[in-house]
Amino acid sequence: MPRLARVLPFPTRPERATLSPDEARQAAQVYLSTCNTQRLDSMVDRVLSNPDVLAGVCALLREMFETAPASAAEEATTLYTRIRNLGRPLGLFDERDYFLGETALIAATALRFMGKFGDAERWLDRAEAGFRHTINPAPLLANLAYARLALRYAVGRYDDVLELVPSLVTSFGKLGMQREEAKCCFLEAKTLIQLGRLQESLPMLTSLRDSRVVRGDRILLSHVLIQAGNCFGSVGDFAQAASIYEQALPLIQERGPSVVLAELKWSIGDTYKAQNHLAKALDAYRAAQRDYASLTMETSVALLHLVAAETLLSLGRHREAEWEILAALPAIEEQKMVTEGFAAVALLRESVRRRKADPNALRELREYLQARK
Amino acid sequence: METVGPVSGVQEDPFEKEVSGIFNETLGLIHIALVTHYGLEEGEAAELEKDLYLWFLRFCMRPGNTSPRDSRPFLVVACCQFAREYQKYIIGSGVRQSSDKINKLLEREPADVARDFSRSLELLNFRRQDA
Repeated sequence: MPRLARVLPFPTRPERATLSPDEARQAAQVYLSTCNTQRLDSMVDRVLSNPDVLAGVCALLREMFETAPASAAEEATTLYTRIRNLGRPLGLFDERDYFLGETALIAATALRFMGKFGDAERWLDRAEAGFRHTINPAPLLANLAYARLALRYAVGRYDDVLELVPSLVTSFGKLGMQREEAKCCFLEAKTLIQLGRLQESLPMLTSLRDSRVVRGDRILLSHVLIQAGNCFGSVGDFAQAASIYEQALPLIQERGPSVVLAELKWSIGDTYKAQNHLAKALDAYRAAQRDYASLTMETSVALLHLVAAETLLSLGRHREAEWEILAALPAIEEQKMVTEGFAAVALLRESVRRRKADPNALRELREYLQARK
Repeated sequence: METVGPVSGVQEDPFEKEVSGIFNETLGLIHIALVTHYGLEEGEAAELEKDLYLWFLRFCMRPGNTSPRDSRPFLVVACCQFAREYQKYIIGSGVRQSSDKINKLLEREPADVARDFSRSLELLNFRRQDA
């Protein structure tokens, strides 16, 4: 056998075509900006045969959580399925497992943003199955543990979050993952807010706001500022809340409609409402709702219908409040946002049918859903 | 031992430059692992070293991998796994006869073999700090 032929037949050797990070990102952008149905086989093949491009696609998908979670989820699930069914090696060594884990984690996170918590959990399991087989699973599994905690926060299991978050903070600290460590502390602060422990949460948020790591991440900083503003608003310090929202606004607006911009508008609405400026609050809620609708975040859109309905009832605009409730109920049922037999839903539907919306049932349902937002 | 690195030329990207520096520092050890311990031929080792560099560059870019220097032990694990899979394939397809020494090494987990090599890496680090 000739000498060269003894080197070449190794069955897992892929093409050795390297791209610079810029070239890979460019190729990834071309792939993602082409409609799924119009992608040529050669374009898909280029992504699946070049881990540099695939890594570029994953990086771009992660940037889409805040601005296009539905697209991120669809692209990530499609990629995961294609990698799994590829029928030939992908990349070198553990890269197939790594990309299976990474695409599954992206899908799970995007689905959590969309409020599809059951689907998100399944994708987290798939991510774990991929990451377990990589050569250095510790940081990847730590990221996965964060995603699981964020999901528990989203479904209102706050005690679980508070119990498990310190261990994860320690893990990220040991791994030198400072940004992720800060994200964990932020999750803890948000959980304390949900439990009404504002006096514990505020110092944490202030410390995060001033930290070098958070100030270097504009998205994380804007989330921290919004929550700090909410905290100040909740304790009646509206001037401080408004000042913090003003700091957050330029950071957020530069990226166009996004989850964080919608959250800011919602928070501004809450602050107006707390000051009894109900008409202004209603405008802010509707602006937030439009943003969520453009991001196809149906659960948040439905919840804001209820928030608007409560505000309309306070304004004495009962008929409009009923329309808002009627707009919310189908999505609440379709998305399984409440457990079956949740009494407030039936009471609310019946009261609207009688043209006399029940404010107590409305508040109960809104508080239940908001706690799970 | 002098080895010709698979990574040469000027890299524009500072991160890639750092990774290639670390890789070239470790290359002597990698070459010993591939040729002396796993019994690969020089040409085969050179080819696998190129693959290893590409893998290591992308590995260092994964979330949570904070420094290429700290990632060196994983490079050694990957080297042993690459070498083991390759040698098993070559022997399995009848291209090369095995020996007791190679068989013994192929039976061991690459991570265990890498751990032994990592001690050499620690020695390398110690010498570097001492220089």
